[in-house]
Amino acid sequence: MSAAAILRAQIEEKLANRIPAAVSLKIKQPPELLPTGITEIDAMLDGGIPRGCITEISGASSTGRTSFGLCSVATITRCGAACAWVDVCDALSPESAAAAGVELKRLLWLRAGGERQHTKEQVLSRLEQAIKATGLLLKAGGFAAIVLDMSDIHSRHTMRIPLSTWYSFRLAAEQARTALIFLTQSPCASSCAALILHCEPASINPLSAAGETALFESQQHILARERNRNEGASFAQKKPLGRSTWQTETTWSRVR
Amino acid sequence: MYAVLHTPDFPVQAAARQHLELRKRSFVLLDGEPPSETVYAANKPARALGIEVGMSKLQAQSVPGITAIPRMREHEESAHTILHETVCYFSPRIEAVETHPGTFALDIRGMNSLFGDAAQLAGKLRQRIMAVGFLANIAVSQNFHAAVCLARGRPGITVVPPGEEANAIGPLPVSVLNPAPEQAETFASWGIYTCAELAALSENDLISRIGQAGKRLHSMAHGEWPHLMFPTEPSFESGLVEREELDHPVEMLESLLFLLARMTNELLGRVKAKARAIASLRVVMTLERGTDGQQRTYERTVRPALPLEDGRTLLKLLELDLETHRPDAAIVALELHAQSAAPHRAQHGLFMPQAPEPGKLEVLLARLRKLLGENQVGSPELLDDNRQDAFRMAPFVPPPPVKARKSVGTVPTALRVYRPPQPIGVSLNESLPIQVFWNGQRYVVAEFAGPWRLSGQWWSESNWNREEWDVRLACGGATQTCRIARDPSSNCWYVQGTYD
Repeated sequence: MSAAAILRAQIEEKLANRIPAAVSLKIKQPPELLPTGITEIDAMLDGGIPRGCITEISGASSTGRTSFGLCSVATITRCGAACAWVDVCDALSPESAAAAGVELKRLLWLRAGGERQHTKEQVLSRLEQAIKATGLLLKAGGFAAIVLDMSDIHSRHTMRIPLSTWYSFRLAAEQARTALIFLTQSPCASSCAALILHCEPASINPLSAAGETALFESQQHILARERNRNEGASFAQKKPLGRSTWQTETTWSRVR
Repeated sequence: MYAVLHTPDFPVQAAARQHLELRKRSFVLLDGEPPSETVYAANKPARALGIEVGMSKLQAQSVPGITAIPRMREHEESAHTILHETVCYFSPRIEAVETHPGTFALDIRGMNSLFGDAAQLAGKLRQRIMAVGFLANIAVSQNFHAAVCLARGRPGITVVPPGEEANAIGPLPVSVLNPAPEQAETFASWGIYTCAELAALSENDLISRIGQAGKRLHSMAHGEWPHLMFPTEPSFESGLVEREELDHPVEMLESLLFLLARMTNELLGRVKAKARAIASLRVVMTLERGTDGQQRTYERTVRPALPLEDGRTLLKLLELDLETHRPDAAIVALELHAQSAAPHRAQHGLFMPQAPEPGKLEVLLARLRKLLGENQVGSPELLDDNRQDAFRMAPFVPPPPVKARKSVGTVPTALRVYRPPQPIGVSLNESLPIQVFWNGQRYVVAEFAGPWRLSGQWWSESNWNREEWDVRLACGGATQTCRIARDPSSNCWYVQGTYD
């Protein structure tokens, strides 16, 4: 045994009562993946979003963030697990959630805000409420996925949230085995997020085609994988950034 | 074989149990509406001073050394419950003698293996009753009515051997048979004062003079009148109450929590003894009198989604609820009512989907309600209504896991709703939108679909009517698809939501 190994063994022995395996490398298993229910995206993400990690989905309005979030929650609730939706701006439409296939009885909806046009202080107050509520949810455990919906909050507000909050959320999510999903305008959790996805608009489907009455039927979106920190894989195995095009359809287009 | 427990002067004993300082004083209980209150009951020293039932309040107070207090029915109910709980230790078959408050008849057949013979049982019963603060007479007899008469007529413990009932009752006054006032008057006019004298009369002659009641009284005087026992089950639910009166008004909620903890644990102990759990807790707080002099009460109910058996969780729920909804005045008395239910049982499994623990979930929801507001936490429940955003917030109670269902197939476009809808300005060209002014910015309507006309509730005052448009708005290089609407009645335009 080398001198370094002997020294390491001695240190670990001394600290065994306080910190077990203090200087040994902790081997982490690759996280369990929760399918999103969108075939194209599941293929790009090798199975879905990671459980026990932070997934951040950012993008501008009408780029499919909410549709993606609802579809993921629908897939999880259909498996019998409970989910929570922390709604900073009180913008979730229960009709859209039901149309996406979310089992509403398994969804805990927390509405942090009232009206959207608020002063800066009120926006921060809503954000604080939502952050506190998310912390309580993570601490209590038992939720397979928690969505923190900050889609309508300007990035200048979300960037002010201290990094320590995201670190504590990452640890709590890992312990609670909860997939923590952030919907934002631009990424804010930085290195705490295991998976960062960016939503972009794709080619625009015209509302009227072939001379028919104009009808809003579908939207094309692009989802770009900016980071996928699969902690079980070695650096050499990391995949290059991926992009996937997917489509959402309005409920009334199904009957046309 | 029956053992009858009789508490003489029951209202007086019940009041003295609540006001210990009255035990060595002469006092009367007043009943009735002020100012025409009358003496309802008096203790022995007060009776010795000449107080009689039915006297007016003024007459009673004119006697020196008499303390007059109002009759409190709650104290009597509480005393009745305590007596009932105590006698329940000695027999499963108990009947409360309704004509005499504080009197209970116990069927003690087969109880000798537990408590010894009848005399020993009576002794133990009397000791137990004295331990809870009451003085009682106990009579044991094979005849129900004979035992009641003896308990009412003889102090201490009386055990009558079978067949000796008539001899035992004989010396007692006729009043122990509970005759009607006119019958008592008739007996007095005949010179009949004791049960033995009544028993000596001819049954037929007695019936011919005072009717069928004569047969019952004659038979009771012989100790032979039969009785069909109806054992009463103690009303478990109504007994789940704890009361506490405070010496001084309390404003600090933290101080009350000590009391609430004790009361909750007391109730939980009773509920657990019946293998049940607490389904709801109702706190009734009597508030300090306001400037108008009115006594007010303040009520809060905590109803967990599942019955709980954990005292700490229940106390935390109470604490969070009371912190969110504080009473507006100091508290002078406290009542805690509980409702029991069968405890929640769930079969756990290694491969079951993740779900919050019921106890933790209740506390979590209470914390979230405190943080966000009462109606801001729950599960959305769609309403059967065509109006946009028709839903209500239902309590979050996740159902047990079921087999996974297949997905819908396509991904529906989600709408992000503005609550309330945001007013906007719209430029029209031949009734078609071409520009939208929103949040201080000008958007060009690149495409539109509509109008989709909707209306409802036209038969009532809450009728609604609108024209909806799906528009693709462009500003700079960015586009977004929104749902805008026009209210034809006011010709106002507003954004209902954004497709995202």
